Amino acid sequence: MTANGKDYVIKDIDLAGWGHKEIEIAETEMPGLMALREEFGKEQPLKGARVAGSLHMTIQTAVLIQTLEALGADVRWASCNIFSTHDHAAAAIADTGTPDVAVKGETLEEYWDYAARIFEWGDGGTPNMILDDGGDATVLVHLGLRAVDDPTLLDNPENEEEVAFFAMLKKKVAEKPEWFAELAKNIKGVTEETTTGVHRLYEMQKKGTLLFPAINVTDSVT
Amino acid sequence: MMAGKVAVVAGFGDVGKGSADSLRNAGCRVMVTEVDPICALQAAMEGFEVVTMEEAAPQGDIFVTATGNKDVLTVDHMRAMKDRAIVSNIGHFDSEIQIGGLANMKWSEVKPQVDEVEFPDGKKLIVLSKGRLVNLGNATGHPSFVMSASFTNQVLAQIELWNNTGQYKNEVYVLPKHLDEKVAALHLAKVGAQLTRLSKEQADYIGVPVEGPFKPDHYRY
Repeated sequence: MTANGKDYVIKDIDLAGWGHKEIEIAETEMPGLMALREEFGKEQPLKGARVAGSLHMTIQTAVLIQTLEALGADVRWASCNIFSTHDHAAAAIADTGTPDVAVKGETLEEYWDYAARIFEWGDGGTPNMILDDGGDATVLVHLGLRAVDDPTLLDNPENEEEVAFFAMLKKKVAEKPEWFAELAKNIKGVTEETTTGVHRLYEMQKKGTLLFPAINVTDSVT
Repeated sequence: MMAGKVAVVAGFGDVGKGSADSLRNAGCRVMVTEVDPICALQAAMEGFEVVTMEEAAPQGDIFVTATGNKDVLTVDHMRAMKDRAIVSNIGHFDSEIQIGGLANMKWSEVKPQVDEVEFPDGKKLIVLSKGRLVNLGNATGHPSFVMSASFTNQVLAQIELWNNTGQYKNEVYVLPKHLDEKVAALHLAKVGAQLTRLSKEQADYIGVPVEGPFKPDHYRY
């Protein structure tokens, strides 16, 4: 929950109408997602899943989010890049009551604050699945957990991205050190959208540090 | 205008291939840089000029990095560029262009996600999205139809991991081929594509089931 009492951070909720219209058009261009709603809508195979999503909060992603929800999932969402959000899509998702934290042009500090928020469920719980693009959400859990035991890991950020990322982790480690272990325990798996994120996952697999199973979606041909 | 301009694409993987094609379709003369001889040969055989960035830097009007690596466009490369060359990255992270090395130059924002960076000699470069991924920073990303295929895989992967967690170790997996074929099949009707069906005899001849999967796992599409 944010200071304004709303469980979202977006540019402008008044953009929701525009977002809903574009989502409706996009649905007609996204036959695979719509077919899954048809096939699995009754069965609810994602019932009980709490998906922390870190993937460009665009109109297309809005259709993905609503498909996950149609299959029973509970979802929280952030963008995986400071410039990639479609503000009208973010508004439409917030308008449906799904918590999202994404603003086109957000700062790096805001970005990492939002990245942490997708792991903070409204009822004080945690997610149990990650849907990731680029690996930031996955790395947040992994590095956070290691930093609880060895805070020096956060001492030497090498660029402005890491400055913001490590500062956020330090704060969380200080505030609620047990949180990262809880995340690691509860998360059953991650599905990863892109080459860079998959590269990071294979590096973790090689070192034996991966905390949960991962499905590499980028190397599907489709 | 892009027609007639020299565009330079760093990296000829999945993203670089798409970028080079788009730029060529817009009328650009496209150069490609590569470290991998296989991808370099693919680029050359597609008719792209394969060069080093040192060679390309003074010639290019538009630069796109698509490598997933770091320091692909260095400050020295950018020093060698023409006035008002456009510099951008389409890889996931902003590590490909040495944006940090431009911190002391004079920056002025033209509009959100478009900056002009002035060098000490007065030359200006146009930098898009501060080196972050240009297709979403300066445009709206992939079309819905393209994302539908990828996102359909995402949903199938979520269903699989959520329902069958116990069957997986803490490792990285790819979805089985029959699901890949299913995702493709779901997208055919929208583009008016009609699938041909194998007869039993034809399926037996190439040793696959009539319903697929049609290719071995090692097949490269």
